[in-house]
Amino acid sequence: MDQNNSLPPYAQGLASPQGAMTPGIPIFSPMMPYGTGLTPQPIQSTNSLSILEEQRQQQQQQQQQQQQQQQAAAAAAQQSASQQAPPGAAGQTPQLFHSQTLTTAPLPGTTPLYPSPMTPMTPITPATPASESSGIVPQLQNIVSTVNLGCKLDLKTIALRARNAEYNPKRFAAVIMRIREPRTTALIFSSGKMVCTGAKSEEQSRLAARKYARVVQKLGFPAKFLDFKIQNMVGSCDVKFPIRLEGLVLTHQQFSSYEPELFPGLIYRMIKPRIVLLIFVSGKVVLTGAKVRAEIYEAFENIYPILKGFRKTT
Amino acid sequence: MPGGRRCPDCDSTELVEDSHYSQSQLVCSDCGCVITEGVLTTTFADEGHLREVTYSQSTGENEQVSRSQQRGLRRVRDLCRVLQLPSTFEDTAVAYYQQAYRHSGIRAARLQKKEVLVGCCVLITCRQHNWPLTMGTICTLIYADLDVFSGTYMQIVKLLGLDVPSLCLADLVKTYCSSFRLFQASPSVPAKYVEDKEKMLSRTLQLVELANETWLVTGRHPLPVITAATFLAWQSLQPSGRLTCSLARFCKLANVDLPYPATSRLQELLAVLLQMAEQLAWLQILKLNKRSVVKHIGDLLQHRHTLVRKAFRDGTAEMEACEREVQGQRQGEEEVGDSSLDLPVRKRPASPALLLPPCMLKPPKQLRPTPPVCTVTGDENISDSEIEQYLRTPEEVRDFQRAQAAGQAAKSLPNP
Repeated sequence: MDQNNSLPPYAQGLASPQGAMTPGIPIFSPMMPYGTGLTPQPIQSTNSLSILEEQRQQQQQQQQQQQQQQQAAAAAAQQSASQQAPPGAAGQTPQLFHSQTLTTAPLPGTTPLYPSPMTPMTPITPATPASESSGIVPQLQNIVSTVNLGCKLDLKTIALRARNAEYNPKRFAAVIMRIREPRTTALIFSSGKMVCTGAKSEEQSRLAARKYARVVQKLGFPAKFLDFKIQNMVGSCDVKFPIRLEGLVLTHQQFSSYEPELFPGLIYRMIKPRIVLLIFVSGKVVLTGAKVRAEIYEAFENIYPILKGFRKTT
Repeated sequence: MPGGRRCPDCDSTELVEDSHYSQSQLVCSDCGCVITEGVLTTTFADEGHLREVTYSQSTGENEQVSRSQQRGLRRVRDLCRVLQLPSTFEDTAVAYYQQAYRHSGIRAARLQKKEVLVGCCVLITCRQHNWPLTMGTICTLIYADLDVFSGTYMQIVKLLGLDVPSLCLADLVKTYCSSFRLFQASPSVPAKYVEDKEKMLSRTLQLVELANETWLVTGRHPLPVITAATFLAWQSLQPSGRLTCSLARFCKLANVDLPYPATSRLQELLAVLLQMAEQLAWLQILKLNKRSVVKHIGDLLQHRHTLVRKAFRDGTAEMEACEREVQGQRQGEEEVGDSSLDLPVRKRPASPALLLPPCMLKPPKQLRPTPPVCTVTGDENISDSEIEQYLRTPEEVRDFQRAQAAGQAAKSLPNP
């Protein structure tokens, strides 16, 4: 059956591939699989002290084996401490990640009695050599948050009396409102619930949501500001070296999905923290699915050693 | 009496419609042979019509299975037969379809999705057996859009928790190249364009391997790269007659569709080959361009490993620092080489290019200047004036309402 040629674009021969040939001969030599046995084990960053206790115990166990590494990590912690200070603005929910700005980092050269809370940030696996922080901080690009205004709204009135609103009930059952500072967009539903997107930080998102609520208030509705919650955070960064995506999908098959016929990037679903990363051949990484900022930083610190393993070294 | 029929036993034409109790029969009046019988019952009786009863019909196995699932399973089997897949593939694909159907999300999905699911199951089976089948082929066979297909495919892989290996490039090259109609002379293919299949296959494989090594394949659809490589392989095997033939004409001759990105892949591949040519001593003097380098592809491929290593350097930032001294060393070597070859003074070959994917070699986009990082607490006071700017004045509201009413009136007016 020779129907090969009647098939339109990207279709290829339907004839069987040469049966005698051994299938699946890789015509490129795959990179040495990085760090066999490397499983990212980031510590879940929450506020609870019990987690800190757990980490302390874990650290103490490893301290016997990896005394030097901890000292090096402490030195690195100081470095990244100074780097993390700017983003750590007040008003953020205090995270493990930021708690180090409050505690004094141990002086280099002294063995800490208990390790500084910074060290959990770097992946604690035997394969990583003296865990160096990557020195790259993912930038937040988008925050999606929701808030309940607590009263039923008349979308027609809002669309009529507000300048920055658009409402097309046939297309979508919500008013789309935009404000200039911070530059954000909100979807306001007739039930009183609102979705705010486009902010670059948690505080900006909260401020923007409050401004939308104030606009709705001024339009005559008894709007409140209930249950403000950040639903999703998107960050991006650049590792500045090309990445062999075919190699990465071979070694991390359970987490990765790479379909060049569909999308040029590799979709990496990290389990802990639960973040989805889009990794591109140019070295740019997009991280999404986070509820808190620390998850993005943690996910990037987990993926960076894996990506470094795929950097071609001549 | 019924026209044309003869008794099979005695060959007489005297056939009588007679009924035996409730069963009508056609009987030969001479020998009594029963020619045909009517249906004894009102239900469909396969035995009476001399048709074998299939296993799936006689057992109750299909009674448990819904009709749409049965239809889907039939389509999976048909698709496997159309693609001439081994029979084991069929069973695997059917098993995947049944497994998918157990999920309520799939059972309740639209028919379009169920049709696409058929293609997904077949594709997953082929991928797991390293059978090179592209999504484009499947989409044309099941008349689906690639975006609908991609959504269903990603969903089903996640739902069933399957490990789907990547498309096997080597096998895809072999299958795709074999589909080119260039291996025999025909009215549309002049003799000088006919090529030996084995030679073309091996050269295409080498070119695709080279493209893979130089970052031209990662992140891109594999097929246009293979098209470009096949074209270059074909041209280079007999450059004298074939340099005038363009890529589009080549695909038309070979009766293969030209994928859109293939032209840019071709340019990228030629650029890589030119970089490599600059490292070969006997090609440096020739001052090759993108057309003339084709004649020397054979040589370049023979030494491709060394040439790639020499022609490109690792494109990483930290290599930049030690790159200076390495360059100095290399230039020193070249000078030595020059004097020994006693070549006339010529332009020094350019310093090794960066071995990076094309997207990293383009000049960086002018990023929008990031707004100054202003510390926002989220609890600041919101001034009334700021909010007022977003509200319409009563006059504006009236004007807007008037405009809206006028617009509605204009719309409702019947067209003259």
